[in-house]
Amino acid sequence: MKKGWFLVFIGLLAFLGLVFYQPLFSVLRRGLTEGGRWSLSPLATILTDSYFVHIIVFSLKQAALSTLLSLGIGLPGAYILTRYSFPGKSAIRSLTVVPFVLPAVVVALGFILFFGESGWLNQWLMSVFHLPSPPLHILYSLTGIVLAHAFYNAPIVMRLVNASWEGIDPEIDEAAASLGARGLRRFVGITIPLLAPALLSSAALVFIFSFLSFPIVLALGGARYTTIEVGIYTLIRTLLDYKLGSALILVETALSLSLTYVYLKTEGGFATLTQGSRRVATYPLFSRKASMCKLVIAAYIIIAAVFFLGPISSILVDSLRVRGQWSVESYRQIFTLGYNPFLGVSPLRTVLNSLFIGGISTAISLPVGMLIAMFAVRSRLPGRRLLEAILMAPLAVSSVAIGFAVLYGLGGAPLHLSGTLIAIALAHAILTYPFVVRVIRPVLEGLDQSLVEAARSLGASPTRAFFEVILPLIGPGILVAAVFGFALSIGEMSATIMLMRPGLGTMPMAVYSLLSARQFGAASAMGMILVLVAGIAFLVIDRLGRRGVGCRTL
Amino acid sequence: MFNKLVVLFVVALVALAVIGTGKEQLVVYTYQSFVSWGPASVLEEVFEAQYDCDLQFVTAGGAKATLSRLLAERDVSATNADLFMAEVNEIPRIVKYDLFLPVTKDDIPNLAFVPEELLFDPNVGFVPYEYGYISLTYDSRVLSEDELPQSLDQLADPRYERMLVCQDPRTSSTGFSFLLWTIAQFGEEKYLDFWRSIDRTLLTITRGWTEAWTMLSHGEAPLIVSFSTDTAYGAMYEDSIDYRAFAPGGQGYRTVFGIGIVKETNQPELAKAFIDLLLSKEIQEQLPRTEIMIPANLQAELPPEYDEYLIIPEDPLMLPLDLVGDRMDTWLHDWERAIVGK
Repeated sequence: MKKGWFLVFIGLLAFLGLVFYQPLFSVLRRGLTEGGRWSLSPLATILTDSYFVHIIVFSLKQAALSTLLSLGIGLPGAYILTRYSFPGKSAIRSLTVVPFVLPAVVVALGFILFFGESGWLNQWLMSVFHLPSPPLHILYSLTGIVLAHAFYNAPIVMRLVNASWEGIDPEIDEAAASLGARGLRRFVGITIPLLAPALLSSAALVFIFSFLSFPIVLALGGARYTTIEVGIYTLIRTLLDYKLGSALILVETALSLSLTYVYLKTEGGFATLTQGSRRVATYPLFSRKASMCKLVIAAYIIIAAVFFLGPISSILVDSLRVRGQWSVESYRQIFTLGYNPFLGVSPLRTVLNSLFIGGISTAISLPVGMLIAMFAVRSRLPGRRLLEAILMAPLAVSSVAIGFAVLYGLGGAPLHLSGTLIAIALAHAILTYPFVVRVIRPVLEGLDQSLVEAARSLGASPTRAFFEVILPLIGPGILVAAVFGFALSIGEMSATIMLMRPGLGTMPMAVYSLLSARQFGAASAMGMILVLVAGIAFLVIDRLGRRGVGCRTL
Repeated sequence: MFNKLVVLFVVALVALAVIGTGKEQLVVYTYQSFVSWGPASVLEEVFEAQYDCDLQFVTAGGAKATLSRLLAERDVSATNADLFMAEVNEIPRIVKYDLFLPVTKDDIPNLAFVPEELLFDPNVGFVPYEYGYISLTYDSRVLSEDELPQSLDQLADPRYERMLVCQDPRTSSTGFSFLLWTIAQFGEEKYLDFWRSIDRTLLTITRGWTEAWTMLSHGEAPLIVSFSTDTAYGAMYEDSIDYRAFAPGGQGYRTVFGIGIVKETNQPELAKAFIDLLLSKEIQEQLPRTEIMIPANLQAELPPEYDEYLIIPEDPLMLPLDLVGDRMDTWLHDWERAIVGK
């Protein structure tokens, strides 16, 4: 079996080598050469120039603040989801994944409409308190960036921690209680240590996402708030300084690779949690008995609802208003078949492009992701963790860098992918397969190996055992992974923008183009369609999720 | 055990190999707004009917981003661009990277109608097709005419706090023109002092002009760096002149847009025919309505709204291109460290 896994590893490495490592290394090599020779001087420039040091420090700072805020908003939510029962609980749990696949350009639009200087929140405050000027200055600053990252990531914290919390055997807590430990002491002494892996794991994930976030910083930061990712984009795309751009990619990748390693390590600890025989007891949230605790919870729910629903409902309302009147005109525009001069193609064409790209990218990312998940769970090769980290590397490389690598490394010979939908689909596949792995891995870990062994002992070949035993058992998990990968591809814009040409436009690019073309109604309408796609995808996932496969680790 | 998975792999790889082919193409690299606003679709229709070919517009965003994209592709000799449209301040980069074929008046008959003052060295190959002026545009519902700054340095006044949006000179040609304007006005020694003095006035610095306009028209900011044709735009398309261009102290910065033939092209004759069509009276008269710029061809007539609302700064500035070419990198480098990494 060891030899088999070695071959799988080599096969995966060969494929990823062609489409990911080689292009990426050719980019990185530029960051380590000076006049055609190997040199550390570009790297030295990055690490000594005050401007680059400033943006590196700023990236880490905003990621740390985003992580803290995401934990601050996510943990109370996880607590409520774990300890209380209320109508619509499962719907809320499944909705926590929606922000994750919302295209950042849509979130940026929602934030501008809701939190902006003339956004809903300011307008409301001005009319209620009769203020002459907007009281809240949230956007175009560090605050705006951190808030938007929390919008994305707090639901991930909520989901991860809630899943882990519900997995804690209540008997441990009860035993401590029967021995006389009080509430707070039990929380600090038992719950926190048991939740620690989930807390660390989600914090690491949020940190990585915030650290590598591109469209949000681009849209809400302005030039004065620049992260490494935006710095790379600026260096490569506009200053044409590949040398320093590549050196900055090198620094960014080194930082995020080590973070990813921490994440994978903590996630391993997370997976070893033992499930109790019983679930944690829940209390109805809406009962007659009022308490201080419930007041605090009610306040949290109201603030959270405003924070999460405000931007999205702003987009919804904006998409239905044309010149101050309610109208579906914007949606009609989207579904007009004809050539739209603002997009360079028909809006429907961008929908078809998105579907095509999503389909191809899922067809690539699903088998790649499945093989890596099986490799991670089943192989016993020495240094497995490190090999796994190598295979999961795209998780640690920014979308902009991957887009640039595909453009730079695969645009010319031998594949000549420059200017094709395939190039975009390939970039999406590279970006999404780590998430396929993340979905399938816990499913495989939960698979009862004795069933496979039983089939094998009854004479089934490994292939037959795979298709007749393993596949039906993990089938729903694979479907969840496929839907997830597809939805991520549909919403992706950072790599797309590096590879985009007219006629190749996707839905998020259409939102961006419509925004640029001052067609706000149509932009919001297209944005709403993306919100809807994301919503539907995750209701499907949730339904499947309840039929035995946990997609808890999403 | 993995046979069938291998089959899946092969299917995926075969899908990768599917690459489309078509008839003879002429590929024009341009900026986003030329495709989304400009006469791209009309040009495509007219040109494809006249010369049996497939005319394609390609854009990577603004003029600066598209140039970077083009140079990146040339670097790995993977570009199929035949023509490129750019802002005049890119000429130093175009010369540095030896991008364009020389173009003379004999190649492009319609060049005869373009005034001398807009023309550049024919060896550079930059053919102007429209021009305009960078100025400021304000929301007349927020600021009244007598509240407007009478010169750039008045922008430092606290009453304009969090009101102004400008564009990043590293990523936007509008933003770069504004940076050059401040250098032309305050001098190389003083321009960064001006930028530091408006730190509180600046609400944000956007990547491109379109984001700044988005903020103005969404009520996010009442004052942006924009074009002197904005009032005429409102009169033509919005039925209102709420957003008005003005030239503080009669000043503004001149900007010229031009097109050139990329050296690697296989079809220079077809490319010249395209430039000639772009300079024709028919297409030139589209420019003030779609690009909201002033056409280069003197024969082209302006829409009536331009007679009433077009603002031409009395004292337009424009730094010599040689100087821009020599100092550009230093200016951007210093600006970056003064404003971003402060």
